[in-house]
Amino acid sequence: MNIEMRDIYKAFATNIVLKQVSFSLKSGEICALLGENGAGKSTLMNILGGVLPAESGEILLDGNPVIFHKPAESLSAGIAFIHQELNLINDLPVYENMFLGREIKKKNGLLNAEVMIRETRELFERMNLDIDPKVMVRELDASYKQIVEISRALMTNASVIIMDEPTSSLTDPEIERVFEMMRSLKKAGVGIVFISHKLKEVKTICDRFTILRDGNMVAEGAVADVTTDDLARFMVGHDIRTSALQRERKTAHEVLKVDGLTDDKNFRDISFTVRAGEVLGITGLLGDGRSELFQSIIGAGTSYSGQVYFEGKPVEIHNTTQAVDSAIGYLPRNRKENGIIKDMDILENGSIVSWPKFSKFGFINRSQQLNEFEKQVKDLHIKRERNNDPITSLSGGNQQKVVLAKWLAINPKLLILDNPTQGVDVGAKEEIYDIILNLADTGVAVIVLSSEAQEIIRVCDRALVMYHGALQGEVTGERMNEHDIMRLATGGTLN
Amino acid sequence: MEKAETKKNIFTNIRGYWMTHPLFSTGLALVVMIFLQTLALGFQFDSFGQWFSTWGQNWINILRNNAGIGIISLGMTLVIVSGGIDLAVGSTLVAVGAAIMVLIDTGPNGILRNLGITGLPAYLIAIVIGIIFGLILGELAGLLVTKGKLPPFIATLGTMKIFRSVTQHFMQGYTPVVPANFLNISSFKIGGQLLMPIIYWVILAAVFFVISTRTTFGRQVIAVGSNERAAKLSGINVAAIKRRVYVIMGVLVSLAAIVQVARIGSMDYANAGSGYEMDAISAVIVGGTSMSGGRGTIIGTVFGTLIIAVMNNLLNLLGVPPFLREAFKGIIVIGAVLLQKKENNS
Repeated sequence: MNIEMRDIYKAFATNIVLKQVSFSLKSGEICALLGENGAGKSTLMNILGGVLPAESGEILLDGNPVIFHKPAESLSAGIAFIHQELNLINDLPVYENMFLGREIKKKNGLLNAEVMIRETRELFERMNLDIDPKVMVRELDASYKQIVEISRALMTNASVIIMDEPTSSLTDPEIERVFEMMRSLKKAGVGIVFISHKLKEVKTICDRFTILRDGNMVAEGAVADVTTDDLARFMVGHDIRTSALQRERKTAHEVLKVDGLTDDKNFRDISFTVRAGEVLGITGLLGDGRSELFQSIIGAGTSYSGQVYFEGKPVEIHNTTQAVDSAIGYLPRNRKENGIIKDMDILENGSIVSWPKFSKFGFINRSQQLNEFEKQVKDLHIKRERNNDPITSLSGGNQQKVVLAKWLAINPKLLILDNPTQGVDVGAKEEIYDIILNLADTGVAVIVLSSEAQEIIRVCDRALVMYHGALQGEVTGERMNEHDIMRLATGGTLN
Repeated sequence: MEKAETKKNIFTNIRGYWMTHPLFSTGLALVVMIFLQTLALGFQFDSFGQWFSTWGQNWINILRNNAGIGIISLGMTLVIVSGGIDLAVGSTLVAVGAAIMVLIDTGPNGILRNLGITGLPAYLIAIVIGIIFGLILGELAGLLVTKGKLPPFIATLGTMKIFRSVTQHFMQGYTPVVPANFLNISSFKIGGQLLMPIIYWVILAAVFFVISTRTTFGRQVIAVGSNERAAKLSGINVAAIKRRVYVIMGVLVSLAAIVQVARIGSMDYANAGSGYEMDAISAVIVGGTSMSGGRGTIIGTVFGTLIIAVMNNLLNLLGVPPFLREAFKGIIVIGAVLLQKKENNS
């Protein structure tokens, strides 16, 4: 089946996610859909999969226009969508998962296990898979789970399969197993959309590529004609380069030093230092483990082995209260889930961290609280009408500044900012960069975690790039460019 | 045309006020209830004075009868705002009540009496031990929720069963005698009226109002209930806050137990306090507190307690059959939440 999506346009409220994007896929073809986080890949595929409606544009299947209102319609047209998070039920055997929602029943209404097991086994044999249909999904490897999910898509006679980062949680041999299956599907005439950040894999398995950036289709072509560097360049786009903001400043003593930090699953063998007055960037792609690493450091994540030194002394931070007492601030990613407390007003959201500091016998000193907040409002140019308005009444940028204000109120020595400009508009973004640089000027050690290479390049003095939980490399000066960062972030090395 | 516009403006203004003042509808409901209750009481009296004293007496009865639930509801507000629930309050009340009675018993088994301690020192010791006992029982639930990572519903469902069953077992065939002076805690008359329970309720409500609005702890409870993750990442020790909430609940139940023992002078271990958990939760919910945590006020809970209390009184005055009264309680709870839901959606 050939798919053509023409001039797809999609906006969430005022935020335009896809601007007249076109995409096509022929049968027996594996097409890579690439782009940075937020480029619009998932939205485009959700439209094809019937999860989201497009505002305008059309979808043609073998030349016939179709409109999908819900996932079931897309599925019955032969398009299967395998989401990044697997949709398997761990506590059911493989064969029941294969027939979930379309179970084969006997005349008396009971499940016909025999037929389901037989059909599953037949399919696995056709695909040369060695999986027992009766085994519980829980007992399978991640790669086999992925394979079961793909097989389930085949069972519905899918002729197009959309795979959203199918290899993000797999090891190399497991990835090879999935690739083998993709190759045999391709031979059978199935079209596959392969969404991935791993450019090496794209080179290995895909025939064609389509690259999205900021909701625009910026490049497409045959994978054989390009290098992974070309792909990386298309993904970040060079036409949007803006001035670097770094300032000359003297760095002082080491504020944070970590040595060989390793936890069970998110990060391993991480060592680095950051000095007072320095802005250190940490970047990488989805699943690189940087947020988990820093949440562990401030006592809000998994436990780890290795040693953390703060201001020269070995420390073990067990909880966030201790981190606050040591003057370590952490502005989390995903403001809505982790940053703001929607049942509290602007003032309270902007002062919550400093309550213990401003209280006597447990009573909050309200005038002190207000004075400090008003000072932050002035310093950070927070635009708000009344302090007791709900936090949600503010724009994203102002909300973020309020969250920042609560940390500045404790005069942090180390401030960790995780995706500090997520969901804020361009103007507020620049203001937040200024705030970061001013803080560094006053001798605060600042760590900026970001998935946007541009952001790192513009504000950080140097940057560490993570790949799958490990430090892949460090970039400074000339080497701190999107090209090299993307190379490291996709698992490559600098020569 | 212009007139319609103004009308609409007034309407939106009232609506706007309604939306921004969460206690508005609760307060309004209370006023309506009081109005209906006053009507139901009737005006067939010889004089205004006579009407007023009947009306006032009726109110004193309402407040006194609901002081226990009122006190427990204060703590329940904190628990629910923190995102939890405590089903064990009724059982804790019985356990603490039994402990106090065993201590002050003037019969042959009275613990303090056998130690040679009687009178005021005995009462003070019994009260202090009772409060500590309630504190420990609350801490137990708190530990199960934080260290044991049990859902609060399950943790307190468990402790609810344990506390009552163990109390009943140990108190089998044992009827302590509560000394008459101890009863003064609740039964001391002011101007010929039994006002003590009401006074305790008012004082505790004021204390909890201040705790919830002015203290670090009170505000942190709201933060934890509204967004636990964000609260944790803001340096709040979430586990400590949750534990303290259950401890405070336990202490308040102890105080309610003291008031109750001193009022009645005995306790039915099988039935005393049973249903208190649901009555307290109802009061809290009707008062505008969200079951999912993060939103709720002490004043709202006092209003909620009064709404249910006045409604009960109203049904009584109207002669509604006793079995039907719980149904009205159910209607009030459902209606209140439906109303609040509408407010929050717009």
